[in-house]
Amino acid sequence: MNIRGALAGLVLAASTVFGARAAPAPAEIKVGTLYASTGPFAAISMPAYDGIKLWVKQANAAGGVYVKPYHKKIPLKLIAYDDQSNTATAATLYNQLITQDHVEILISDSGSVLTSVAVPIAREHKQLLFDLSGTGAPFFSKDNPYIVLMSLPISTLWPKAQADFLNDVGWRAGVRKVAILYATNDFTGTHAKSLAGYLRKAGKETIVYDQGVPTNTTNYSVLINNIAAAKPDAVIELGYPGNDIAFLRALQDSGEKFRYVFTLFGGFEMHAVLGGAGASAMVGTFTYIPAALYPYKVNYGPTVEQFHAAWDKAYPPGSGVAWGADGLMGYMSGLVIERALATTPGMSQLDLRRAVFALSGKLDTLAGAFRLNPVGAQIGEMTPMGQLRADGPHAVRPVAVYPPALAMGKPEFGPRSGQ
Amino acid sequence: MRKRGLLPDLLLPALVLVAFGAAPFLYSNELMLFNFVTFLALAQGLNIVYGFTGYLPFGYVGFYGAGAYGFALAVMHLHAPPLAAMAAGGAAALVLAVVLLPLLRLSGAYFAIASLAAAQAVYEVVSNPALENVTKGPYGVSLSGVFAPRFSYFVALAILGGAFALVVWLRNSRFGLALQAIREDPVSAASAGVSVVRGRTIAWLLSALVAGLVGAAFAWHISVFYPDTAFDLGVSIFATVFVLFGGATTLTGPLLGVLILYGVYNWIGITVPQYFQFIYGALIVGLVLFLPNGLVSLLTARGIRVP
Repeated sequence: MNIRGALAGLVLAASTVFGARAAPAPAEIKVGTLYASTGPFAAISMPAYDGIKLWVKQANAAGGVYVKPYHKKIPLKLIAYDDQSNTATAATLYNQLITQDHVEILISDSGSVLTSVAVPIAREHKQLLFDLSGTGAPFFSKDNPYIVLMSLPISTLWPKAQADFLNDVGWRAGVRKVAILYATNDFTGTHAKSLAGYLRKAGKETIVYDQGVPTNTTNYSVLINNIAAAKPDAVIELGYPGNDIAFLRALQDSGEKFRYVFTLFGGFEMHAVLGGAGASAMVGTFTYIPAALYPYKVNYGPTVEQFHAAWDKAYPPGSGVAWGADGLMGYMSGLVIERALATTPGMSQLDLRRAVFALSGKLDTLAGAFRLNPVGAQIGEMTPMGQLRADGPHAVRPVAVYPPALAMGKPEFGPRSGQ
Repeated sequence: MRKRGLLPDLLLPALVLVAFGAAPFLYSNELMLFNFVTFLALAQGLNIVYGFTGYLPFGYVGFYGAGAYGFALAVMHLHAPPLAAMAAGGAAALVLAVVLLPLLRLSGAYFAIASLAAAQAVYEVVSNPALENVTKGPYGVSLSGVFAPRFSYFVALAILGGAFALVVWLRNSRFGLALQAIREDPVSAASAGVSVVRGRTIAWLLSALVAGLVGAAFAWHISVFYPDTAFDLGVSIFATVFVLFGGATTLTGPLLGVLILYGVYNWIGITVPQYFQFIYGALIVGLVLFLPNGLVSLLTARGIRVP
């Protein structure tokens, strides 16, 4: 290299370094999100929002989050709007967060429905969408780098745990016929379809009942009679907490018994479902064991016990804020974002994406292993299968039963017909 | 008298169209502006059937949803270009309006409730999981291939211009006068030679066409939506409240209703969402108690002609 070239390189390097140093650090990092205080998604949205608020509160109490490009801690400012479970309102408010509030971090509302409208908007504005729990497979594509799924496995992968359980343990226990009843929304509908696909592919159990019902269904009595007429060994009900409560109550009232009964939110929002359906309706049922109910080993952030203690301190029992999986997902998403800010090479949205992807496979949080596939979908954080056991007359406790590596007890199936 | 009224009738829509044409270049939350444009158009569309014939369809959203799904089906199954799919959306709403023509034999609350039931029936058909291969059932449609927010915004603005033109025409034409005569007393109007059935039918179809085109523009602009969104009863309620708040049969009334009430709605949603139901409810109760004929009645009661 000649002297002129060396000098030019030196000048360029100096301008880059000093230019970067000259960029002033913002007074705050703006975190934008939506929540649903009313409507069908309030039950999953509000706890997640409470989790995000707790993360922001803790981070600010510690002087803010460390942001690598500025080499300092910067406080967080949470900007949150109420979409009232309405996708049209949510779309406008996502736009507001991006175009008017100019948030650095955009976190979607809970669930696939309220996330769906954010996906094209974030992409249009080249803003990375931190997808809290919208597991819909169509959100993730090679031509959209502006989305990353923080919690829960992508919907096409998630039901595999249950299918494996039924094909393995269930088959050995004599489960031959399966009924699937699901609420027809993006989340549970896709879940049901994937589950049925896995079961059919394995070719063991026969699906004798496969029926979708509107998400606002509250009367399950007739549906349970129809299911009983198909004589299934296993009944899998997939819905939101309100569906699960209505289903479990109707099942108990009907007197029908099945060898295996599964509800999705019996574990995910166990306390909420317990409050609505009662312990006697839940005992013996199967569910996914969410991170809030399973002690994963962590290499980053608090353990679930530590987080539970912090949660109870922030939201004491009786405050109206229930402990559950959605709150944990909101908090855990914040933790991963915090880590990404501490390691990001720059503050552009694609820099943030690179930082989040660099964490994939390296973080073990209280929600399990954080792993992303190349299009930003979560493929870690798989939820083990569990069964709810009686814990006194008015409570239940979850026991992980599958896969064997995570099991903490053995599954107990109901008696066979005629026994 | 009609000639004297034509200029302000033309001036007001022109101002609104110019303002909303320039707005995306001044304010970057384009989706909020788009929602204003769609509600302005829907309010004028509802004004055509309610303001001029007295028929208040609570299920007006049925046409909007039909338009949205007409657009989506044309894009998904026929791979139609967006502008052709817009026509399909309008056509879908017109077909639905023709199917529902017998509802016009009802009146008052019976008509309002029947139209609501019809919209709900269409929603149930579209969201039926058994039709997943056709409509995507309850799982919603994604039209990301035709996503063009800026272009679709100006298409919606053109539809608003068309809706304004229809209302201006009705306010300044013999046909519009005939419709108002039907609204006041159909028997007298018929005895004076006015074709009641023809008048109501044309107003009904025009109103449905506006809603269908607006629904198609919505589908194009937002590109991802569910049956619950396209057939959201809130769309009907908002459009109805906006028309009633401002005052029907005028251009100004629905316009004021949208600008004030939807403006307040967005302001509350962004600033004090916890008081949303309270503030919005209080506004509407106040309107019903003190201005049952809408804001424009403050002027019309004094003999002032409002565009």
